[in-house]
Amino acid sequence: MLDTAYSIETPEGIDLKAQAAGPVPRILAYAVDVFYRSLILLALGIALAFADRAGMGIWLLCSFLLEWFYPVFFEVVRNGQTPGKKAFGLIVVNDNLTPVSWGASLLRNLLRFADFLPFGYAAGTLSMVLNKNFQRLGDMAAGTLVVYRQAGGQRPELPKVAPLAPPRGLQLQDQLAVISLAERHGELSEARQRELAGLLEPVTGKSGETGLQYLRAVGCWLLGSR
Amino acid sequence: MDLNRLAVRARLRSPWESIDLGVVLARRQWWPLFIVWLLPATLVFGATALLLWDSPGWAIFLVWWLKPVYDRLPLLIASRALFGEKMPAGAALKQFFSVNRRDWLAWLSWRRLSPTRSFDMPVTLLEQSSGPARGARIGVLHRKHASAATWLTLTGYHLEVILGLALAALIYLLIPEQVEIDWMPFLSSGAIWLQWALNGLYLLVMAAVAPFYVVCGFSLYIGRRIELEAWDIEIQFRNLVERQRRSEKTAPLAAQLMLLCALGIFAATPALQARAETGGPPEQAREQIDEILAGENFHRMETVKGWRLKEFKREDEAFPEWLIALLEWLESLSADESPEPNGTSWGPLVAGLLEVLLWIGAIGLAIYLLWHYREQLGRALKFRKKPPREKKAAPETLFGLDVRQSSLPADVCAEVLRLWQQGEQRAGLGLLYRATLSHLIEDYLFEFGDHLTERECARLVEHRRGGNQEQPPVSSALSSFVQQLTTAWQQLAYAHRAPETARVQALCGQWQEVFAHD
Repeated sequence: MLDTAYSIETPEGIDLKAQAAGPVPRILAYAVDVFYRSLILLALGIALAFADRAGMGIWLLCSFLLEWFYPVFFEVVRNGQTPGKKAFGLIVVNDNLTPVSWGASLLRNLLRFADFLPFGYAAGTLSMVLNKNFQRLGDMAAGTLVVYRQAGGQRPELPKVAPLAPPRGLQLQDQLAVISLAERHGELSEARQRELAGLLEPVTGKSGETGLQYLRAVGCWLLGSR
Repeated sequence: MDLNRLAVRARLRSPWESIDLGVVLARRQWWPLFIVWLLPATLVFGATALLLWDSPGWAIFLVWWLKPVYDRLPLLIASRALFGEKMPAGAALKQFFSVNRRDWLAWLSWRRLSPTRSFDMPVTLLEQSSGPARGARIGVLHRKHASAATWLTLTGYHLEVILGLALAALIYLLIPEQVEIDWMPFLSSGAIWLQWALNGLYLLVMAAVAPFYVVCGFSLYIGRRIELEAWDIEIQFRNLVERQRRSEKTAPLAAQLMLLCALGIFAATPALQARAETGGPPEQAREQIDEILAGENFHRMETVKGWRLKEFKREDEAFPEWLIALLEWLESLSADESPEPNGTSWGPLVAGLLEVLLWIGAIGLAIYLLWHYREQLGRALKFRKKPPREKKAAPETLFGLDVRQSSLPADVCAEVLRLWQQGEQRAGLGLLYRATLSHLIEDYLFEFGDHLTERECARLVEHRRGGNQEQPPVSSALSSFVQQLTTAWQQLAYAHRAPETARVQALCGQWQEVFAHD
């Protein structure tokens, strides 16, 4: 089964899972960051234009700091998210899924010069495409990873049916599927939902509309409504 | 479409995750995808080289414009691979014209610049729909994924350009230093063969990126269909039904085996027969099990309520007053200075700001250093903080003797001598001893406890004689008195050897002397 999931087991035997983020959203997030950085530099340039050569010096200093430490600052202080990454729901973590540390963040950002070679982050893009977890060279060196931040978000509204206890023999995955059917009652077409409920006829003993209503009731029950 | 053969995990994905999955899919079979894209494109490239040798710009534009034609074969291979079917590049190439029959004109004219090309192509090629049906279908698919598809196209386009430049840069970097080429006239001459070489490079880059672009769009399309048609639910439901069917098939066999075992046991132990009869057939047992499972014990609910800290959103702070005041002050600072003739009044302001910042930094550093080395400084300056003494509860009894002040008579010595005269020597000397202990605990703050012996208590008193700043000092008279009394008491208490009366009287006299202030 192909997937982009990254999972790691803690010493306590707990499986942590995350979705590794691929090149396209990361490139776009980087573009957003570049946009913000240029805005800042432009504003600084206008503000410092009055200060003549000293202003030029300060501007160069600021552009150096922005280039190298803007990502480090945001990654460590702001939960691994630069503004661009935040816009795409991405987050930088260590490869054991702990928050990224100063050292790792510094290393992965200083090594951007390697990813930049020979031009325009070509090496980094190639590395992201070829690596199993979409790591660029700096990521591999620093042992970091860019994953999607799992949004808590609002649970979708459940259908209005009286909950019913599920039949015996439903495993966890089956329960999740039933819950998913109940949660997506507004998105899936009615005909498709009836068809899906019909698939379970050997288990539920009901077909068509009654089967669907029954599965929705079970889904509500499994989600805790009584 | 057999969903059980789906090669990717069916789950709800965000558009970006779908694109990432496309990268994984394309990476797995990049070579065949690359080949089937490159071969037709190279043929067109060759044809343009023959026909349009003098205008390489138009030639590469033509090759570029025909991209939707080459995109279809990689898409075909990817769609087969999604269901675990391997399609060799040769077999795919044979279908070049049949896959390009539908809607080719539309894709090469008004849809050529569509920003969602790779996302829409599967509708034409795999669903084979056109006309209004296609429009409706595209509308449904686009509702959530159109923006990601557009960004994908934009990213792909920029990647092509950047990777093309990178390839050129790489070649440039690999030219040995000894080969001295005068680049400026070389590049500006615009030699035709140089332009054709660059075209060739660009063709290679396009062919390298195209599989990813096509498969990412396809994966986005699949992600949208998984969402719309709930493939994940269907696969799981089919698995469940299949599992149920298999367990039902094996259930009778298991029941027979159990019956056999049961029969064997019954034969061996006839006494069990009576109990077995009450069990009933399996259907009845299952009913009972269901009944119990539906009963109260399996549906016990517990509600836990409590207060816990919520994550508060920090409110955006308003622009602080003190900052405004500071800025105004800075401005007044710079206004004091006479404006320079050349009119740049910013210099003083910047300088003033920097000065203030430096001062703040210096003061902050000083405060930090003071705070960081506060202990060393305190020690150097002899500001010894008295360690907070927790008042230990004074023991009520020691060695089985009551040492509370309240248990003592008003005139200890008179009482001791009275008891001694009455012949109750043990009680008398004991009273003197515990009165001493009691005073040592109360007045001299000794921390005696049950873990010490009498001799150790005496030694503690002896040690304190030198003086100690925190606790009241012990005079040498008191110390020697405690030693003597302890010896006398130990001899009486443990060896049953009573001291002479004169010695007891002397001890009483000493007691009155050392505790005279009471």
